[in-house]
Amino acid sequence: MAEVTADHIHAVAHDDHGHDDHGHMTVEENNENMKLGMWLYLASEIVIFSIMIVGYIVFRVNEPEVVSEVHHTLGVGLVTINTFILLASSYFMVMGLRAMQKGDRQGMLRWIGATALGGIIFVGGQYIEYSELAHLGITMGYDSATTWSTFGMRFYAPTAFHGAHVIVGVIWALIIMKRGSEGRYDNNPIGIEMFGLYWHFVDIVWIMLFTLIYLV
Amino acid sequence: MAEVTHEIAEHTHDDHAHSDTVVVLGREITVNGGIYTVVFGALGILTILEVLFAEVLNSMIAGAPDAGFLAAIKSFVLLGLAIVKSSLVIWFYMHLKDDNKILAVVFILPLLIAALSVMFVLSIPPTGYGV
Repeated sequence: MAEVTADHIHAVAHDDHGHDDHGHMTVEENNENMKLGMWLYLASEIVIFSIMIVGYIVFRVNEPEVVSEVHHTLGVGLVTINTFILLASSYFMVMGLRAMQKGDRQGMLRWIGATALGGIIFVGGQYIEYSELAHLGITMGYDSATTWSTFGMRFYAPTAFHGAHVIVGVIWALIIMKRGSEGRYDNNPIGIEMFGLYWHFVDIVWIMLFTLIYLV
Repeated sequence: MAEVTHEIAEHTHDDHAHSDTVVVLGREITVNGGIYTVVFGALGILTILEVLFAEVLNSMIAGAPDAGFLAAIKSFVLLGLAIVKSSLVIWFYMHLKDDNKILAVVFILPLLIAALSVMFVLSIPPTGYGV
């Protein structure tokens, strides 16, 4: 990264064109562009998740007995704990960014590490839940012998797709930790903020899935 | 160089995001993590309320003559709580509160389209998609 100084930031802030003398983007401009790009990506993710959620809602409205039966059998204990873990990991994430913005690299590494751990525990909990569902015969495949099998596809599509996002997030968190330990974010923590936007989005999707699939 | 980090941080986030003292319901609270910790507490409490409300309503719905009405109330309240929780995360954790409002438009527009699509799909009678 090019050497950036406070004087440089102030100087370009007074430039009528918003660029430095060489026409390059400033750190601030670059950060804003990266954030806009990430929000656009998240907007596209909303569309994908919406399709899956709509598929579930249509099934939920038309087959309420099947969904009630699955709810009654599974309960909400495990998934509630999992939800708390994901909410906590979102908190750890934002605290990691806060630590880095305060110049506390070690603090950032601890918080982001806790975020990754939360993601791993969440995926582990999801694995346990899937195992229980498979034991009940609820799989992705269709089996005319059981009415529950029709629930499987609508349930696994959004939750497994979300789980895949959590796994990607955990890998991303580990990369952030490696790069952070090398001092890559000491001058500009935008990389951590990008990851934060992604991770919080994953958290929001789960907040909606938890309510729609497990509670409503 | 550490000063530059703080300079950038100040350009992107308000100082109160880094303060441990926040005002909640008119009362000043000092807690490690400030507003982020308060929001986390709120998310936890709302989640507990959600689960308790769902469990209570489920027990009331079973065998009740006005089960349809109770189920509608349950869905409405639970979705409302989920929207409040999501908004807290977006507003405070994703910093939409402090960021350029064009980012809010980028995020809210597909949400509105998705919400309209859901209502449209649900308005089609079951025979419309062969269930």
